Amino acid sequence: MIEFFQPYIENWANWWPQLLVALRNTIALTASSYFLAVLLGIILALGRLSKIGVVRALCRGYIEFVRGIPALAILFLIYFGLVPLGLVVDSFTAAIVGLGMNQGGYMAEVFRGGIEALHKGQREAALAAGMTPYKTYRYIIMPQAIRIVLPPLLNMLIILLKDTSICSLISTPELMLRAKDLASMSFLPMHLYLLVGVIYFVIACPLSLGTRRVEARLRRGKRQASV
Amino acid sequence: MLEWLPFDPLQAARFSLILLRGAVMTVEITAGALVVAMALGLILAVIKTSRIAVARVLVDVYIEIFRDIPALTLLFILYFGFAYVGFKIQPAPAAIIGLGVIGGAILTEVFRSGFEALHHGQREAALSIGMTPMMAMRHIILPQAVRITLPPVGNYAIGLLKDTAIVSAIAAPEIMFWARNLVTSTFETTLVYLLAAMLYFCMSFPLAQVVNRLEEKRRSWQ
Repeated sequence: MIEFFQPYIENWANWWPQLLVALRNTIALTASSYFLAVLLGIILALGRLSKIGVVRALCRGYIEFVRGIPALAILFLIYFGLVPLGLVVDSFTAAIVGLGMNQGGYMAEVFRGGIEALHKGQREAALAAGMTPYKTYRYIIMPQAIRIVLPPLLNMLIILLKDTSICSLISTPELMLRAKDLASMSFLPMHLYLLVGVIYFVIACPLSLGTRRVEARLRRGKRQASV
Repeated sequence: MLEWLPFDPLQAARFSLILLRGAVMTVEITAGALVVAMALGLILAVIKTSRIAVARVLVDVYIEIFRDIPALTLLFILYFGFAYVGFKIQPAPAAIIGLGVIGGAILTEVFRSGFEALHHGQREAALSIGMTPMMAMRHIILPQAVRITLPPVGNYAIGLLKDTAIVSAIAAPEIMFWARNLVTSTFETTLVYLLAAMLYFCMSFPLAQVVNRLEEKRRSWQ
């Protein structure tokens, strides 16, 4: 058992700085594609509720298609598939765009759910009761919308963080790719993949516990409100 | 006759046939992982509702670990890591175990909330009107539990189907694996990956429609 940890001690000075750089890339990748996904999700959600039929159909088509295919297929299409068409993208950009496009489809459904769950009568009632549009938004609309949208939004951040690992398959310089390189150089795959698993866990665990907290908190608020 | 097409239709047909062969493996891995995930999920959900605190905490730890580790990392540990330790697992079993173990963590939560959604008064009522525990389970609890958990399990299965794409990284011969092989031999990247994407879509979209219908039904039933 002790011998198993020996390689970690021997290689730590070599591995850790390299993994740290890769980890920074993983986080940058997660943040950028999350931002893109939220933006795309809001646009698509509004598009799906648009009064223009063509816009609605296009947004619906995009959402259904993207949700129907694996993220890896989108990444391969962007990174390898655009090359014959004369469009060469570097792997980091391809990863951000690919993950963003993929998660954007899921985000759109989250935002649409949030918007649709609010009956428009609520807004009218608040205005009729003499609230200003700002107060209506602040005290009636927002508290309810956040309750619906926030937990899935936080969950998607965790999913996205984990999904960045598949970008190693289009050779984006992130954590998983670095681990693969180091593993093939040192012939210590078990040690490196376990280490990387622990690193992902250390980052995702606080996020996941925080998300559950938020979920529980919001649920409590809802129960009180409905009594 | 078909010169106006941006690709060679005969070639596209040949590629599709090869990818379809991979689709069989995709379905097999999905089904295998689904069975593992459901079995694990059911067992862990029952443990989570048990009275033994230690067991409950252990289940929580299990869920947390496999919620926070990427599937690809786990697959690499199972496939490359264990081979290094002298325990060689074939790609397809490694894929089924890896995805199944992660799915178990997801489905535990699904089944547990399914159990909780049923008021325990229902069981008590069934017993008090003279049903045996078996009858209560069969006629009262199970029909409702299935109706509650079927849509989320269906959604999970669709996600799983798409997640199998990453299994190509440990050389399990499914759709994406054959797609990558075709690309290295023909360089037709756009066509091959588009066909692969369409194939996934043709499998997951109808499933998604069924799950949507189930969800609507459930909502009206509530």
